[in-house]
Amino acid sequence: MTETPSDDDRKKARVHFDRHTPQYRHEFEETTHELHAKCPIAWTDTHGGHWVASGNREVFELARSAEFLSNDHDVKGVRRGYKGITIPSPPRAREVQGGFLEMDPPEQRHYRQTLNPYLSPAAVSRWIPFVDEVVRACLDEKIEQGRIDFVDDLANIVPAVLTLAMLGIPLKDWTVYNEPAHASVYTPPDSPDMPRVAELSRKMGMSLYMALSEIREKPRPGLIDALVRADINGKTPPDDELTGVLALLIGGGFDTTTALTAHALEWLSENPAERDRLSRERDTLLDSATEEFLRYFTPAPGDGRTISADCEIAGQKFEEGERLWLSWAMANRDPSVFPDPDRVHLDRKGNRHSSFGLGIHRCIGSNVARTVFKRMVTAVLDRMPDFRCDPEGTVHYETIGIIQGMRHLPAAFTPGKRLGPSLDETLETLQRACDEQGLAAPVTVRTARADTGR
Amino acid sequence: MKVRVDPELCQGHTLCWMTAPKSFQLDEVDGHSSAVSEDVPADQEEDVREAAHSCPERAIQIF
Repeated sequence: MTETPSDDDRKKARVHFDRHTPQYRHEFEETTHELHAKCPIAWTDTHGGHWVASGNREVFELARSAEFLSNDHDVKGVRRGYKGITIPSPPRAREVQGGFLEMDPPEQRHYRQTLNPYLSPAAVSRWIPFVDEVVRACLDEKIEQGRIDFVDDLANIVPAVLTLAMLGIPLKDWTVYNEPAHASVYTPPDSPDMPRVAELSRKMGMSLYMALSEIREKPRPGLIDALVRADINGKTPPDDELTGVLALLIGGGFDTTTALTAHALEWLSENPAERDRLSRERDTLLDSATEEFLRYFTPAPGDGRTISADCEIAGQKFEEGERLWLSWAMANRDPSVFPDPDRVHLDRKGNRHSSFGLGIHRCIGSNVARTVFKRMVTAVLDRMPDFRCDPEGTVHYETIGIIQGMRHLPAAFTPGKRLGPSLDETLETLQRACDEQGLAAPVTVRTARADTGR
Repeated sequence: MKVRVDPELCQGHTLCWMTAPKSFQLDEVDGHSSAVSEDVPADQEEDVREAAHSCPERAIQIF
């Protein structure tokens, strides 16, 4: 019989770790170096007490141990009361299950199987002409002025419009979704702005709920259609569960890609020689540069888990019910896997970063994110090649506890000529393309690329 | 040189396909990877090694 080690023995490596403070953002590299050197798995008493995994090997082994980890968020208290992927979990009144990212198999697997045919590389590549048109129109709106805010005028809009198109929601509604999708991430719970954000989130929720009912009555292709007709472990999922899934798809589809794009453009502005090189050598460099920006900036810096059975992983003993923070961002800076980890190398090799997570919960929208990012960045390189971001007007998220994002990134560039119609007119044209060509159908039904008439 | 993608480990990150597009193919429906052929042509060996090294899930076996 083995003896259960005392808590003091198991929790020998203790740190004070609070990723929700501005200090963590400012001292991210120092904190990461310290944790890597001293305790790649550590216990912290913050936020109710939880483990923090920062080492690459440790994060890898933990994330892949699905049999000992749970993502479950048991909002109704009918299973083991686990708290999902957010540490700390929100107050009871605001607890909502975060879609299949807060579920375990088999339900989680059934959801992914339902949505994969809309999100695979083959499915996403059909949208490229659509994405290019939205990007073109966004840049056209600003090209004659020589000034743009890369967040407000580009990186917020394109992921939002594409996500809605894939869901089967009218494109013109992107403004209903845009503000709450970002503001709910960067607004602290005690902010005086929170009531306004909560009201916008409520309106977004209503719009989603209406879309669910409408599409259930009258099918139209897209992710929502797949969800309302899905067979999840032998059942049709209830609306409250589906609302959580839609919130996950919107949360995952909007703010993360915006964050990646803004940080990459800011870095390229600060490193103009590298920007010119990326533009010149994009055929060979764009893929590796995209992965390197993903590694270095890690827009979604980590995920919480609950230990679902006593176990020992990566040399650490865990007990059932304990909470664990898997830091993708810190694992991405481990020098044992990434030489010179705190610098961006656009041609980095062997870049096995964990920015989309690891294991069965790998970001289901990773192919969308990469495609949208690449189309936005290359269009900027083509049409605004001398852009200079304005550090005075740049606003980063105050903390990187949830998303390492940016609120504003103003830039100036040599003005150019418009190439086509306005954004509003473009969205009308693209809406017709969605409706007439059934663009949002799964790749199993429709293989042709979008025809945008341009 | 031979290569195999473990279907139990692959999660569809697609890095292998970006690194060695001649040697890996992605499933149309879920984007998971498989080797185009178990035998790696001599001119592809370097790319396949790099792809194996890049796999976030360590799902690619070279033997």
